[in-house]
Amino acid sequence: MTWYNYPLFMFIAAALWVLALILLAASRKKMFKWIGGLALFGGLASMIIFTTGLWISLERPPFRTLGETRLWYALFISVIGIVIYYRWKLLWMLAYALLMAIVFLFVNYLNPDTFDKTLMPALQSPWFIPHVIVYIIGYAFLAVSSLIGVKGLYLNYKGKDVSKTIALADNIVYLGFAFLTFGLLFGALWAKEAWGHYWTWDPKETWAFLTWLVYLLYIHFRVNKRKYVVSSLWVLSLAFVVLLICWFGINYLPSAQSSVHVYST
Amino acid sequence: MNKERRKFWTYPWGYRESFTIAFAILLVGFLIEYLSPVNAIFLPRWPYNLLLIIVFLAYVALSNRMVKHPIIKWLSGVPAAISSISVMTLLVLLMGFIPQSSEPGGAFISDIGLTHVIKSWPYLLISFYLLVILAFTIMRRILPFKVKNIAFTLNHAGLWIVVAAASLGSADMKKFTMQLVEDKAVFTAYDKYGQPRQMNFAVKLLNFHIKEYPPSIGLLNEHKGELKFDKKAELMLVEEQTEAEMDNWKIRIAKYYEAAVRDTADGYIPNNRPGASALAYVVATNLDTGAVKEGWVTNGSFMMSPKYLRLGDGHSVVMTVPRPKEYSSDFRFFRGMEDYEDVTIKVNKPATIDGWTFYQTGYNEKMGKWSQVSIVEIVKDPWLPVVYTGIFMILLGSLYLVWMGRTKNAKKQEEDDLV
Repeated sequence: MTWYNYPLFMFIAAALWVLALILLAASRKKMFKWIGGLALFGGLASMIIFTTGLWISLERPPFRTLGETRLWYALFISVIGIVIYYRWKLLWMLAYALLMAIVFLFVNYLNPDTFDKTLMPALQSPWFIPHVIVYIIGYAFLAVSSLIGVKGLYLNYKGKDVSKTIALADNIVYLGFAFLTFGLLFGALWAKEAWGHYWTWDPKETWAFLTWLVYLLYIHFRVNKRKYVVSSLWVLSLAFVVLLICWFGINYLPSAQSSVHVYST
Repeated sequence: MNKERRKFWTYPWGYRESFTIAFAILLVGFLIEYLSPVNAIFLPRWPYNLLLIIVFLAYVALSNRMVKHPIIKWLSGVPAAISSISVMTLLVLLMGFIPQSSEPGGAFISDIGLTHVIKSWPYLLISFYLLVILAFTIMRRILPFKVKNIAFTLNHAGLWIVVAAASLGSADMKKFTMQLVEDKAVFTAYDKYGQPRQMNFAVKLLNFHIKEYPPSIGLLNEHKGELKFDKKAELMLVEEQTEAEMDNWKIRIAKYYEAAVRDTADGYIPNNRPGASALAYVVATNLDTGAVKEGWVTNGSFMMSPKYLRLGDGHSVVMTVPRPKEYSSDFRFFRGMEDYEDVTIKVNKPATIDGWTFYQTGYNEKMGKWSQVSIVEIVKDPWLPVVYTGIFMILLGSLYLVWMGRTKNAKKQEEDDLV
């Protein structure tokens, strides 16, 4: 399976997810829930089949190019959305997660990736897969948390109570932050093996560290739960901008042109 | 917020005082950097760095126990922590946008250290401020020890250890580059300034191996100089009898030699001697006109110049330089004439001998797979186990966060609300 087959799987996933959202939003009847749930998992299955097939035909883990990381992101954020939906019954979270996933799938559709089997020696390491996977999981959680942050700001603007909203955000930030920490430290351990030092202030490292600092700031702002709620919500919403620069924006920064992490696609 | 505002600088200090102090430290850092004539900060070496750490920790522990001043409480409080993280974030943010270089420039941002942030006074002072606050925070939490504080301790102490050991330990780190040449004993290593240094050991390269991916074929736009690969489909890795469509051309590889040399005026024979290069016989058929162009295409080598197939419509079929798949070095490490050890290293698989870790970093790229030179980096970092201890503490602490989540933590933290 290559990127040639991608549109088929992508459209199946997107169509099933949209159908699921419509069904789940339309009615509380059991039948609707069942078919909606089925469509939800059907779409997920389509993505899993494609990703697995791509992995097999590339003969290397598909984590090298930005297009490949987008694919994983779509996969993880939809899983997180589904879990949150079944655990906390938050339909709007599911809708957000699935729409994000669909957006990422479409970006891949419009900017097709090259099919490139080569994997440079520095990337051939047992650290490669865990390093990228934990980061993508972390990014997916933090994307969700920033949306909750924006929702909190909106509620606050409307003069409503935000304590429940921000409590949910706290939970998700803790999870996302832990995964971010794993990604950062796995990267450090890997860098020691590959380049001889665990931290070289490569521009991507600098921005990953920044992302980590900003969420660290949020967590410390939240130590006292009653104070600085609005400032915390602002930090949370803006933190995601830093994360996005770290992930994509870095490819366009003049300060990062020598980075070993600037992907070649 | 309609409470009467507390007067500035009255205890207990809050955010205003914390941020004032943090920014003051930052400004002092910029000032020292601006006024100091040389761009070099010398951190203490072994054993003075260890001594510094012990004295520092003893000082923090003692003042935490004996002194009952509100400042001690402020130093372990959330506002101080947030001020230090914020100013650190600000500094790293500037670093993220300003290209960093090791050479000092004449500009103002260079004078105040922003082109070499991690080697500048502001960074050093803010790191120190962070370490002080972290140390006080940890001291207050770990004594007396409570099980419920375990994640807190792992995360905070782990971070302290990583930052302290990485920065103070950097003075003890030794890092050199060696150029190994096949069958030659090399004693000389070079530091990052290119200064040679005689080592008390010698290294002889026995063998350098390299495996390459097959090259790929693409269309070159002769005016733009742009390569066009067949997107979506298989990027055309060169293999015999494969076909791909690029623009309005159908490209077929009729014959492929992994390595060949020139035989007659326009013929090649497979041969693996140095300087041989990959060759593909390409047949290109124009899908609109049916015109056929064919010929040999090669990316060349140090012996052979590259050869393209011109299609006559502004495009040429070209072959890319193959990418390395794996390279490794077998070498002999001599302590003395009779006392030696044989080792193999490759990228991502370093080896440690006598405290030196050998990393495969490069080779002679001009010679490609016939390179007889292997470039290795040798590193001695005595503080590494300490840094790793800190890293594993943070990993454990984060694992605990994933497991317990925020809810459990929140309760704990509300109990000892610090603000």
